[in-house]
Amino acid sequence: MDNLLLNVHNVSKSFPGVKALADVGLDVRHNEVLALVGENGAGKSTLMKLLSGIHAPDSGSFELDGRPIQVQSPKQAQELGISIIHQEFNLMPDLTVAQNIYIGREPRSGNFLLNDRRLNARAAELFARIRIDLDPKSKVGDLTVAKQQMVEIAKALSHDSKVLIMDEPTAALNEAEVAALHEIIRNFKSESTGVIYISHRMDEINEIADRVTVLRDGGYVDTVDAGSTPIRDVISMMVGRRLSTEQRPDPAPAGTDVVLAADGVSTRDMLSGVSFELRAGEILGFAGLMGAGRTEVARAIVGADRITAGSIEVHGRQQKIPNPAAAASLGIGYLSEDRKHLGLLLDRNVKENIALSSLGRFSGGGFMKGKAMAAKAQELVGTLRIKTPSVNQPARNLSGGNQQKVVIAKWLLKDCDILIFDEPTRGIDVGAKEEIYTLLNELASQGKSIIMISSELPEVLRLSHRIVVMCEGRVAGSLSNDEADQENIMEMATRFGADDVVPAGAEPAGGTQ
Amino acid sequence: MSTVQAAKSESRTHTGDTAGRTLSGRLRSSLQQFLAFASLIALVIFFSIASGKFMTLSNISGILLATSVIGILALGTTFVIISGGIDLSIGTGMTLCSVMTGVFLTYLGLPLIVGVIGGILTGAVMGLVNGTLIAALKIPPFIATLAMMMIAEGLALVISGTSPIYFGSTPGFTNLALGSVIPGLSIPNAVLIIFIAAVLAGVTMSKTIIGRYTFSIGSNEDATALSGVNVKKWKVLIYTFAGAFTGLAGVVMASRLSSAQPGLGMGYELEAIAAVIIGGTSLQGGKGSIIGTVIGALIMSVLTNGLRIMSIPQEWQNVAVGAVILLAVYLDMLRRKETS
Amino acid sequence: MRRKIMAAAGAAALALSLSACGGGSTGNESGGGDGKPYVAIVSKGFQHQFWQAVKDGAEKAAKDYNVRITFQGPDTESNVAQQIEMLTSALNKNPDALALAALDSKAAAPLLETAKSKDIPVVAFDSGVDSEIPVSTVATDNKAAAAEAAKHMAKRIGGEGQVAIVAHDQTSKSGKHRRDGFVNWMKKNAPGIEIVDIQYGGGDQLKSTDLAKAMIQANPKLDGLYGTNEGSAIGIVNAVQELGMKGDVTVVGFDSGKAQLKAIRSGLMAGAVTQNPIGIGYKTVETAVKAMKGKDVKQTIDTGYYWYDKENMDKPKIAENLYK
Repeated sequence: MDNLLLNVHNVSKSFPGVKALADVGLDVRHNEVLALVGENGAGKSTLMKLLSGIHAPDSGSFELDGRPIQVQSPKQAQELGISIIHQEFNLMPDLTVAQNIYIGREPRSGNFLLNDRRLNARAAELFARIRIDLDPKSKVGDLTVAKQQMVEIAKALSHDSKVLIMDEPTAALNEAEVAALHEIIRNFKSESTGVIYISHRMDEINEIADRVTVLRDGGYVDTVDAGSTPIRDVISMMVGRRLSTEQRPDPAPAGTDVVLAADGVSTRDMLSGVSFELRAGEILGFAGLMGAGRTEVARAIVGADRITAGSIEVHGRQQKIPNPAAAASLGIGYLSEDRKHLGLLLDRNVKENIALSSLGRFSGGGFMKGKAMAAKAQELVGTLRIKTPSVNQPARNLSGGNQQKVVIAKWLLKDCDILIFDEPTRGIDVGAKEEIYTLLNELASQGKSIIMISSELPEVLRLSHRIVVMCEGRVAGSLSNDEADQENIMEMATRFGADDVVPAGAEPAGGTQ
Repeated sequence: MSTVQAAKSESRTHTGDTAGRTLSGRLRSSLQQFLAFASLIALVIFFSIASGKFMTLSNISGILLATSVIGILALGTTFVIISGGIDLSIGTGMTLCSVMTGVFLTYLGLPLIVGVIGGILTGAVMGLVNGTLIAALKIPPFIATLAMMMIAEGLALVISGTSPIYFGSTPGFTNLALGSVIPGLSIPNAVLIIFIAAVLAGVTMSKTIIGRYTFSIGSNEDATALSGVNVKKWKVLIYTFAGAFTGLAGVVMASRLSSAQPGLGMGYELEAIAAVIIGGTSLQGGKGSIIGTVIGALIMSVLTNGLRIMSIPQEWQNVAVGAVILLAVYLDMLRRKETS
Repeated sequence: MRRKIMAAAGAAALALSLSACGGGSTGNESGGGDGKPYVAIVSKGFQHQFWQAVKDGAEKAAKDYNVRITFQGPDTESNVAQQIEMLTSALNKNPDALALAALDSKAAAPLLETAKSKDIPVVAFDSGVDSEIPVSTVATDNKAAAAEAAKHMAKRIGGEGQVAIVAHDQTSKSGKHRRDGFVNWMKKNAPGIEIVDIQYGGGDQLKSTDLAKAMIQANPKLDGLYGTNEGSAIGIVNAVQELGMKGDVTVVGFDSGKAQLKAIRSGLMAGAVTQNPIGIGYKTVETAVKAMKGKDVKQTIDTGYYWYDKENMDKPKIAENLYK
């Protein structure tokens, strides 16, 4: 018997100059979670947009419960029972949780008047049913990122959907929240429903998915059973080659100088008494739960947030760093986790983005020296292996990984020898992650000092020579790579209270003075 | 094991966190309105002390009357600004509406009520055109309404033949703004009109679907569209609704001057926008309130009137209003920083 | 389909706006090749009745002297930049003579130099231009006219008391002269009269109304109010009416216009000083024609002013200068 919930037949879609999808098919069964994986540019997002009615396919067809359907608008997709949680939040920050969830479907009194009491009651019922802890009347803009993600999920579930599609739902969640999300997904799937789950996190796929469909370069590769297929095989299907996992870094160069030291750094909102040391040529990982204050440490160092107590030494000299520009002139570069907003001018080309922070070097008498700029950019594109047709390509057209490399190039050009990476691989596909890892290792071996903030423990373990674990705005502990594993980092990250003891054997860098 | 531990601790911190933030967020947003209201009161007290002639019934009634035209314009444009747009055409658009009222009443000799409704509808039609240009043709609001500002200015002159239209043939028309329906109280009708308009706008903003979508579109237009809301349609409706207020302002102005003055209007849009901003509405959209706009408009006219009563030279009056706008926007930014 | 119609409507509206904005331009500009001498006139405005009357006078003279004219003015009488632009484009057309009512004579100075270098004679009208270049200035002597208003005000309020002024602006020559002529006459001839306040309403009726109301509130003992142009005077009249103070304050105005005439007839206003706008327009073109033919012209041509009130406003000599 035909037990297909959603069937996608031979779908193709082209955009001017790009074949985004070629003859892709997939099927979702009832009561299953189908993971959809593939590198960025593999066609996952395009497929999503076709299913949600944002774009129309050039050819091919969809069937829902055996009936052919045509999806012409997001609204129609919802009416058909296809709900999508987009990777980028689609929430109205100034509206309340309940208002967000029922936007376009507000309970009304008559034609025109709103009935907010019924709206809030309905939202409360929904939260009780799907077991999400949210206040219908909170303003979404005031919520944490994780709570906002929950609002997205609640919104999708509020539609009585048959097919729930989630695009990177856990990108902003910590492990506990991921577990909660998976619980919600398990509650959701039933004999009449199914889930398409798009993720870059391979460990999650094992955890939640029944089957995995792999896309590569706009084409269909294969569908395999999630439980019995090793992650390594899935990844190699995605990238077309085998990757090694569970690598650890080469030992850190011994006895090098301390290039950056924080001593008891506190800020008004978050940090209290943060101390650590960064040595030349090492990668210092910062681990911790969401909201533990890792990004805030970076912001305090580069002067984006004001320091209320403590001091910072750069190359052995105490420095007051009032703003990021001052940090850059001391050779400290901060690569924000939010590349698209804070790291890149998406509409400007690669060349200009690379030269942006060093424009003084490429100008004479008020005019830009275009040739010199292009030459230097070209050189860095080569060194960092940035995949772009030319340095004149707008940054928007590059993949996430290559955008990240452009940001790195920008800071390298500025002669920064201390680089702070905040979530360097967020939103970057597996193959490109490898490239970034290699690049970070190369930079360190060239003598650059790197602070790497990451929510992915395997990434921290794989790259960091030493690991500082943060919890509630403090340093909970510090571990050298060979003594660190996921368990003891997690334990530190969830430790509460002021009087933490630095674990025996840990380097003194993270300890109290 | 550690995962479970993390789960517990996380949910604990986040719940507390969220509740705290929401509460303080609410406090802060009402604080902003309170601040605006407090500044209004402070201004009133200051001028009352500075000049004994400020706090008289007839001067207060004068201030309220002086608020009416700019205030009504500001009410409509609050919707547009909260939706993330801007409307530069309200100043000269208002003039076009008063000219059209003149045409209906004086040239065509239509009954009073028809002329009034015709004037308001003229504004709504302009809003409809603005909204269509912006929503359907995707012309940026600044450009579309800038063009409409010029078109309205030109049409007002063309239609009136560049000379004022007097309402001599419709004697009741002047009473519309300057008469007083409440016996015994010397409150001109124009003040009642802006009061009723403000209540209407306030209810529409907070209790109706158009208000909800105004906030929603201003807060995140793409997300609103993806949620299945017909953003184009609602944008057109928002501009049309706001346009009706422009029409009403035109009628009130014409009534107050007993004539439609085709040369007026340029610059009124900026005063109205200033009132909206002083009232705490964000030019980025998504945030704002009608009560804030009313307070903002009152702050502007109290300030101007008070400085005039104190015989402060005109030049300095402008400086003072400019300074108030800067202060209001800066305070708003501070508040926003706190919240985020 | 619907989209296309909308686009077409938009384009049509835009075209309409382009012709409507940029100030009014009239005159027999068509048939540029008819060989008639061409006088380019750039005024301070065109919407206002006053300028319409000036234009009528100019057109009459153009007919009499068989010349072609264009008459342009900015949207508002504070839009200096727009006027400069109009002046520039007028010069680019190489007229045989140029007539200018400068909003800001300093801003216009470089362009007047250009005119001089092109040997285009310049006639200033309505108000003088701080420059040697204009061959003649055709204008009302605003100071003298304002003094006339002051004289009548003083007479009406009995030579003593408090008077305030609603002026139309503080930067233009006419604005300054109409203010100063009034103030100076009072100082010299009516020591008992105190000018308690001067405020500026930009000639905007609504603003002038609120302004005048505040002034009356602030100065309860006010005996008289003087408005320096039509908009200012109407503002005062509105204020007096709204406050129900008809007869308590003596109102003196400037220029004419339907509302002002009505106010004078009804006794809300004591009277006003009128210029001779038709004469200004006529004399301007006449002087320009003389200048282009190389004839001598007088350096200043005073077109005169008249005090008018309920008693004399219907006399033909006065009435022909009152526009509605």
